[in-house]
Amino acid sequence: MKNLLISPILIPLITAGLSLVAWKSSRVQRIFGLLGAGALMVAAVVLFMSVYTNGIQVLQVGNWPSPFGITLVADLLSSVMVVLTALVGLAVAVYSIAAVDEQQISFGYFPFFQVLLTGVCGAFLTGDLFNLYVWFEVMLMASFVLMVLGGEPPQVEGGIKYVTLNLLSSITFLVAVGILYAVAHTLNMADLSLKLTKIAQTHPTLILTVAAFFIIGFGIKAGIFPLYFWLPASYHTPPAATSALFAGLLTKVGVYALIRVFTLVFPRMPHSFSLLLTLAGLTMVIGVLGAFAQFEMRRILSFHIISQIGYMIMGLGLLASNNPAARVLGIAAAVFYIAHHIIVKTNLFLISGTVKVLRGTYQLKSLGGLAASSPWLAILFLIPALSLAGIPPLSGFWAKFAMIKAGLQAEQYLVVTAALVAGLLTLMSMIKIWDEAFWKPAPEVLPKEGSPSSGPLTPRRLFLLLGPIILLAGLTVVIGLQPQPLFTVAERAAAQLLDSGEYIQAVLSNSQAAIQEFDAVRGVPL
Amino acid sequence: MTNYMNLFLEIILGILALAAVAGFLRLARGPSLPDRVVAFDLLATVGVGISAVYSMAHNQPVFLDVAVVLALISFVGTVAFARYIEERLKGGTL
Amino acid sequence: MKSLILQTASRYLMVLLVIFSVFILLRGHNEPGGGFVGGLLIAGAFALYGLAYTPKTARRLLRLDPRTIIGVGLVTAAGSGLAAVWHGQPFLTGQWLPYRIPFLGKLGTVFFFDLGVYLVVLGTTLLVLLTLEEE
Repeated sequence: MKNLLISPILIPLITAGLSLVAWKSSRVQRIFGLLGAGALMVAAVVLFMSVYTNGIQVLQVGNWPSPFGITLVADLLSSVMVVLTALVGLAVAVYSIAAVDEQQISFGYFPFFQVLLTGVCGAFLTGDLFNLYVWFEVMLMASFVLMVLGGEPPQVEGGIKYVTLNLLSSITFLVAVGILYAVAHTLNMADLSLKLTKIAQTHPTLILTVAAFFIIGFGIKAGIFPLYFWLPASYHTPPAATSALFAGLLTKVGVYALIRVFTLVFPRMPHSFSLLLTLAGLTMVIGVLGAFAQFEMRRILSFHIISQIGYMIMGLGLLASNNPAARVLGIAAAVFYIAHHIIVKTNLFLISGTVKVLRGTYQLKSLGGLAASSPWLAILFLIPALSLAGIPPLSGFWAKFAMIKAGLQAEQYLVVTAALVAGLLTLMSMIKIWDEAFWKPAPEVLPKEGSPSSGPLTPRRLFLLLGPIILLAGLTVVIGLQPQPLFTVAERAAAQLLDSGEYIQAVLSNSQAAIQEFDAVRGVPL
Repeated sequence: MTNYMNLFLEIILGILALAAVAGFLRLARGPSLPDRVVAFDLLATVGVGISAVYSMAHNQPVFLDVAVVLALISFVGTVAFARYIEERLKGGTL
Repeated sequence: MKSLILQTASRYLMVLLVIFSVFILLRGHNEPGGGFVGGLLIAGAFALYGLAYTPKTARRLLRLDPRTIIGVGLVTAAGSGLAAVWHGQPFLTGQWLPYRIPFLGKLGTVFFFDLGVYLVVLGTTLLVLLTLEEE
């Protein structure tokens, strides 16, 4: 059943094709979207169980042996990320049924939604650097279309900023891949991991340069400190369902790529880890400070994405430490943090979308009185908001706790201070939203800008809007009360990442024979 | 015999290269848009010629297909340009 | 633009382009060509037709909406890999019919992958071109 590995890529791709065939009927497209997301969830969970019990799974696509063909690899980190992708996909697919209007569906919302999921799952599962680039492009194209769908001027403006910076990131990534291929003659990550140890001795500066290119390229995608400004400039423009999908998944692909590349391909580079640690501290604080100046719900949340990315990168940066316990705990905390963050952030964006449906605006100044008029939504907002700020007993507390503990073990007191300060400021920021949108009395003059969109709020529609929010909020609470299972998974994933032997063994187990056969045909050894 | 043939083909390639240079000059200078479109079409035609002659000179039949595709497609491009110019003329600005 | 010359010429050119695109598609397995180039060529044929007549006529000639074509292409290409899964081999491993088919030669799943690409490229290009032309 090795072909299980392809299913998280194939299911959304085929769903996209089927939704295109059914372009005339928005009803059929909605059903396909839901079925596809459900099937993806099932496949992701089955894949995760299989990886958890049987170890790393490998698929040589097209039966081409590993250093030559494209290899798909699912280790614990990949499979956890795929499960989270499927979770966000499912939640947003349900939410979209009620929240996305007919016009957007006629422009192809559902097919592109599925193509985006294809790209994200592909990026998580691939074991080949160039293939990773291809999936990044798939994601970029799909997300650009989703971002400008509908063609409102601010959307186009945000979309152009988004696509320009991301193309820059792609170019940097591609240059790095080109240099690596020129020196190592391979782009299979497991193979690279073996070969770079030798090359790093003969060409140390070259490898350092390539590492810097990767930090820049993936850093733009992830939104870390000096390269984050595209994110708050664009995430608040598309419809709520789209921005929830983006907020949950896109930046995390960048973080995943950084973790993957810097644990597998460049594992012994203390300089780049110290650099990442510094950037992480700056990202946390500057992201959260940026949120203070904002008075639009989604812009505040966008700045918090940046701040939270800092925490994840901090886990990776702790690899600079010599203390093995701190290294494992740092990566484990980063994995835990990613899981927590994806769930919570998607949820907050979905809630902001629901506020928009109820009141027709995201501006805090024109909002108010939601706690009185819709107390259920207020409670549902408080859960992820407090979780984001790290209040016990919610998932964010354990994520921050593990990260800070790892930081203390690594004796990186400065970045720990930054993390604590950023946590406090996050809480203040969340209280600001609570205060302005939910607690203060509604303004006298109700805002005219943007009507409470598309149709009346029937019970069915309300259920579709709130169902995913309740699901995600429930998950935050469950993880908060029972953090141990997820933390065990994160720790095992971290152990697997830090000891790349198992990964390399799984990917390259049959490659020696293939290389010999290739040499025999070619007549010259490679 | 083949030597003469090859020499002949090389000379043709040279002439075509000159034509390409002339086409580029017109493309760069061409005072009006139609001039540039015609230059563009010329470049495509020269490209067809070069691929065909090259495929004969170096015995690479694959390039003949390139010539055919280029000939077929460049025509569409020119037609599209012609249509664009016509639309602009209707609007009164060129 | 209703030019009789162009309209008459494009009818003949269209036939040529379509035949040639199918030729390129079939040849693509071992020689230059394949679904992508073939798809561009046939899209060029329809674009020419749309220019000579109207985009509406081109759509009528195409019968199917470009979006449907993209969808069918995606499913065909993705589905071509599933034959290998059925036989217990890794996804996308080429599966071949044991005998030759006249004109097509050896038929395998690789051809269907190419066919899927062909349809996706045709659909995407026409979706863009025809929409732009209609504006």
